[in-house]
Amino acid sequence: MNIIEVSGLSKTYVKRKTKEPVKAVNDISFSVRKGEILGLLGPNGAGKTTTIKMLCGLLKPDQGSILINGVNNAKQRLQALHHISAVLEGNRNLYWRLTVRENLEYFAGNRGFSRKQVAHRIDTLLVLFNLKEKENELVNRLSRGMQQKLAIAVAMLAETEVILLDEPTLGLDVETSYEVRAILKEIVKDEDRTIIITSHDMAVIQEVCQRTIIINHGKVVADEEISNLMRLFDVRAYTVTLGAELTPAQQALLESEFITYDYQADLIQPLLSIELTHAEQLYQLFDILKRNETPVEQIDRRTINFEEVFIKIVKGEAVDETSLSISSELA
Amino acid sequence: MKLVYQFQANLRKQAIQMKRYAPNTIAMVLTVYIIFISIFAGIQLIGNPETQAVTIQYTIINYIFWYLAMMLVNGIGYQIMSETSEGTFEQLGMTPSGIWRILSMRLLGEWVLHSIMVVLLLFLSMLTTGQWLNIDIIAILPIFLITSLSMYGLSFVIAGLTIVFKQIQALLQIFQFVLAGLAFVSLSSIYYQLFLPITKGIAMIRAIMIDGYQITDFSTMDFTLLIGNALIYIIIGLSMYLCCESYAMKKGLLAHY
Repeated sequence: MNIIEVSGLSKTYVKRKTKEPVKAVNDISFSVRKGEILGLLGPNGAGKTTTIKMLCGLLKPDQGSILINGVNNAKQRLQALHHISAVLEGNRNLYWRLTVRENLEYFAGNRGFSRKQVAHRIDTLLVLFNLKEKENELVNRLSRGMQQKLAIAVAMLAETEVILLDEPTLGLDVETSYEVRAILKEIVKDEDRTIIITSHDMAVIQEVCQRTIIINHGKVVADEEISNLMRLFDVRAYTVTLGAELTPAQQALLESEFITYDYQADLIQPLLSIELTHAEQLYQLFDILKRNETPVEQIDRRTINFEEVFIKIVKGEAVDETSLSISSELA
Repeated sequence: MKLVYQFQANLRKQAIQMKRYAPNTIAMVLTVYIIFISIFAGIQLIGNPETQAVTIQYTIINYIFWYLAMMLVNGIGYQIMSETSEGTFEQLGMTPSGIWRILSMRLLGEWVLHSIMVVLLLFLSMLTTGQWLNIDIIAILPIFLITSLSMYGLSFVIAGLTIVFKQIQALLQIFQFVLAGLAFVSLSSIYYQLFLPITKGIAMIRAIMIDGYQITDFSTMDFTLLIGNALIYIIIGLSMYLCCESYAMKKGLLAHY
């Protein structure tokens, strides 16, 4: 079941000085399933923030519609906000002169909950986010990581079906970033929430999200499960550590047979880096090495990470495959 | 009940901040009091001795209303400026009840807290000057409540302008003199009393506190003007605010600073 349905969404800004129109979001459509963690990615200025702000009703689209749990965000904005909460500017979304607990109580109050009604829920969240000991501490005295966790807890407190998190791990140390990721996974698993994350930290997206939508120049250039994208962009690249140097004849053969290859001659440990276009090329490689009985010490397969996939998509290296025929290729 | 909880949350937040930053709150009240003392000393030094007592009584009431109007009207402008720059305003924008309701609850909270301060200032001023005014709560309270509605209207105008233009400190500084004009100038023309905010209410409160009027001494026309004025300003204020909010959402200005 889709909890968010975005259809034909467009937003154009006018540059202040030149009055030139800039299409920040250009006719994008996508949907998000209930209980899914979706990564919304894109380079700076791609249109992610505009999309996010339209999703949470802070910005009116020029065209298109957004349905959140069946409620049209443009026509019934306030009704739609019952189903969505967000952390848009991380720790900046908090009142720094209030304590941790006061912040939670204040935001709950604004949503129409009494302190008594949310007391138990606040305690649960404080434990989940490891903030119980700091509940009476002023926010400006907390570390950035704690502030970020509190901002997410505030969004969680609203008990909405959808939570939007803009850069939830920005500026966090490795340990806190891991903690936040673990909490996010727990939230989706235990509470059946739908989370949309935007981040420049590809490791977070790769680890936490099931699916990703990549936006570039205001358009969706990829909308696919992360595992599928990884498979699609996976390269058969190997680094072969040799026991002896290659002969000029072997090098000539490699150059003619393989498009991407690099040989680093070294008396002790010659290295051959090679990228295969299809699996059978591995036999060809061994045939060439076997000609002079070149000993093979070690073979390492280089794995592609999600950051490389993202860059390839954004650079348009695989736009056709991803946006037009990704599903058919995978099928 | 939701509105009650929203009011409680906003009142509590403001009270916590006032208490937590008590030196700032005390300094604010003292500043207001010191300015009043300066005005009072000025009247004593250069004022006409024959009309001095009445002038001081007028000054006490006008000054206190000016303080309250400034705290409510300009206060909301400064709050929005501060929240948009700090990043909390867009969280208010995501509240299902709408920003205007949260702002209403904040204004109500501010009104409660500053009304307490106004009472404190009133008694302090009366004690300092030795001029004791007629405190007829039953007569003053309903007029004060209705007059406050016009202040709310003005507050929403300022809130709307702040959301769109953000940097309006200069306007707010000018506006405090406009508010002073409205609080201090005594208008007898019905036309002006109807169309200028808060003037009719202050005039009626002055009549009670200085001339000893009772609530029954006012005509139906007086109350019609008072309520009409309050309704006009609350409608103008809210409509203007909602237009500004809609414009800000269209142009992407809501949380921008």
